[in-house]
This record gives sequence, structure tokens and C-alpha cells, in this order.
Amino acid sequence: MKVTIFDYGAGNLHSLLKALAGDDCRVETQTDPSLAAKDTDVLVLPGVGAFGHAAARLAPGRDAVRAAIDAGLPCLGICLGMQLLFDASDEGPGIGLGVFPGRVRKLEGERVPQIGWNTIENALDPLLDAAPLPIAYYANSYVCDPIDIPSVRAWSTHGSTTFPAFVRAERTVGVQFHPEKSSRSGVELIRAFLREVGS
Amino acid sequence: MLARRVVVCLDVQGGRVVKGERFVHLREVGDPVELATRYEAEGADEIVFLDISATADERATLLDVARRTAERLFIPLTLGGGVRTADDVSRALRAGADKVSINSAAVARPEVLTESAARFGAQCVVASIDARREAGGWKVYTHGGRTRTELDAVEWARACVAHGAGEILLTSIDRDGTRSGYDLELTRAVSAAVDVPIVASGGAGSANDVREVLESGNADAALVAGILHDGSTTVGAIKQLLAAAGLPIRLVA
Repeated sequence: MKVTIFDYGAGNLHSLLKALAGDDCRVETQTDPSLAAKDTDVLVLPGVGAFGHAAARLAPGRDAVRAAIDAGLPCLGICLGMQLLFDASDEGPGIGLGVFPGRVRKLEGERVPQIGWNTIENALDPLLDAAPLPIAYYANSYVCDPIDIPSVRAWSTHGSTTFPAFVRAERTVGVQFHPEKSSRSGVELIRAFLREVGS
Repeated sequence: MLARRVVVCLDVQGGRVVKGERFVHLREVGDPVELATRYEAEGADEIVFLDISATADERATLLDVARRTAERLFIPLTLGGGVRTADDVSRALRAGADKVSINSAAVARPEVLTESAARFGAQCVVASIDARREAGGWKVYTHGGRTRTELDAVEWARACVAHGAGEILLTSIDRDGTRSGYDLELTRAVSAAVDVPIVASGGAGSANDVREVLESGNADAALVAGILHDGSTTVGAIKQLLAAAGLPIRLVA
């Protein structure tokens, strides 16, 4: 199985690369958005950077990526990568992939950015049954505000704001937390996603 | 609910952990990769590598250490020490850091915080502040605590956040290495002044000191170093005590 990470050029991909790599799995990074969804079995949108910058990097290949996802390409979006699966963001200009209708909004709370380990609430997805993750690492100032509430399969709460931790549309999964930074259980979730979409 | 964090700090020089000499019963003690992964297994919530190298050559090896660590560590890694520009931040992130702490360079030129936050997001920009108590408050020191500035630590923390820092790593120079407990007043004052997370540092002598700074010091996280490296307590023991006190924390099985 070939996994492609779309690299916006912003941050650390080492832990993610290592978490994705396995005996049955070849991982490549791709900086060209028009090639990111081509000739691959899984697309991963990683989680570091700002929305405007990432949307601008994605723009030349946005339609191709969206078409591939619509045609069934499994996709995992992490943190900013999850936010790119929505329509647009208050953080910056540009358009997302619009797989999930809704906007990304500023997180309200006593302490923002939210940095640290937060509990995963009301988990209701086969992936979270296969790889339970009671608490996960977050580093974000923005959260997704989906129109389609049933697409949300788990939640977290920061201060008085409850926001989507995990969304799914068929074989596209978005997580607001960083599974690759959530120790062993987080890595297990990534492995479980690859098993799910590989079977 | 967001958990309070126990952050383990390793001082690195020339690619090796120093202060590790006391860790006599462990052969692998000097290797930052081994130590970081060991602390992850014990339940550390984050790791900080603080580069105390004096020369550029020594410093260059830290990026290689970060790269090797990030391939094996699955909790967040912060790199600090010698970071001057947004390009330095970029190099640290590309090498495997999740966050980068900036200290003296931010005092010299606060725009480095803004430029880094704009490129990489505020969540990876940590303003590191070394503060020493004086009559009427705390002054900011730079260059490893050697150079006094006229900046008031609480005001400076506010300015760092206004410039784009997403987290404050706050070290009490008075308490650092004394094991007499964190400076609770300092932590409380900075915590009240800003709305980003505060990592308290300097003075941890026991698990109870960690509890105190999280409970009455209003810190979001506590940095711990010496008492772990010399084996006088463990991450697990600290977390058990925090859990018993009713603080929200992450426990590992």
C-alpha cells in the first residue's frame, strides 16, 4: 500500500512518517498538490502550519485532490489537515476541500492556543473501537464548525467550547488532535486507519 | 477537559545530555534519544531539549539529534537554545521539533516571534522567559541568566503573547537548581497576565512541588528535570500524586 503525505512545507513530518510506515506500507511525501492524490492508495494531510498558507499551497491541485477523494481515495486529515477538509477558515484566506460542509472558527476559551492532552468524548466510530484513544494531544487555535453534525464521531471540550475531535465521511477521516503525538495509543489509531482502508 | 502536563527537560550539549552524570546506574544516560523515549514510556507528556552548546558546531548536531528523536518519540518535542530567526525555527521544525522556544533573540528583536507565528502558527512558538526577583517584581534576564534587562517579566510575557507567542516557558532563576519549589507568585502573576498556556520551570524538589505549581501557581504545565534525572522521583510517581490531588492528568497504563 502506498501512502502519500501532502507536504505544505511547514513543519515536522518525522513522527508522522514513522507512525505511518510499516511492513505493508510505503510512505512518500509530495510537495506538488497536483500529484498528491495521484497513483496513491491513501492521502494524508498533515497538521502543521496556518490555514491561509496551506490553502495557497493546495490551491493548484485542490480540484484534483477533491475529485480523487470523491472517487473513493481514503484520506486522513490531521489538525490543520482536518480543517483543510472543510470549506474555509477564519484563520486565513483560501478555500478548503469542502468534503465536510462548514467553516473553521477561532477556538474560544480561557487559554488559546489549546496546547496539551484533552479527553476524547462520546466516541462513536469503528476506528475508535478498534483503537481506543481516551486522551489525545492537541495544539490548535481553531476548530471546525460542521454543518453536518452526524459526521462528527467524537468531541472534545476546551473551557466552555465543545468541538469536533473526529469527523468522518465514508473513507475520509479528520482528527483535530495529533495522533502521531499521542504516544502509543495515537500511533495505534493511525495503524488502525491504514488497516481499515487497506482491507 | 484539558489535562495538566508534566514536561521533562533535558539539557543537551554537543548532542549529548549533560547533567546526566548523576544517573550513574544507567549506561544510556547520555543519549538524548534513549532518554526521551524512556521518559515517554514513563508517562511524560512532552520533552524539551534545551541546547546549552557554546559553539555553532556543537549546536548543529542538535538538529540531527532532533531528527533521530522524532523518529522514535510519539509525544511533542520542543527545541530551545540558540534560536535567532524564523529560519532557525523552520530548521528546528523540519528536523523534528513540534515547538521551538525563543529566549534572548526575542528580547533583542520581538518580531522574531511574530514572523515565526505567521509562518508556522502560534502553537509552535514558545517564548522562554528567565526571571529574577527584585524589589517590586521580577526582571527578565537573557543569555542563560547572565545578562540583566530592564524588562519587567510580567509585562514582557504580555508583550511576547501580543507578538505571537503561543506558550510561555517561565523559569525562575532564583529557584532554578535549588529544589526549594517553584516561584508560585511569579507563575501566578504571569498566568493572570496572559491567556496562553504557562509552563512553570525552576525549583522542583519533589512531586509535591509540581502539584503546588499546578494547583496554586495556576501553571498549565510543570517542567521537571534534575529530580527525575537523579532518580529521586519518577514521572509516574509525580502523576500518581497529581491524580490523587484531583488534578486532571494523563495516566499511562
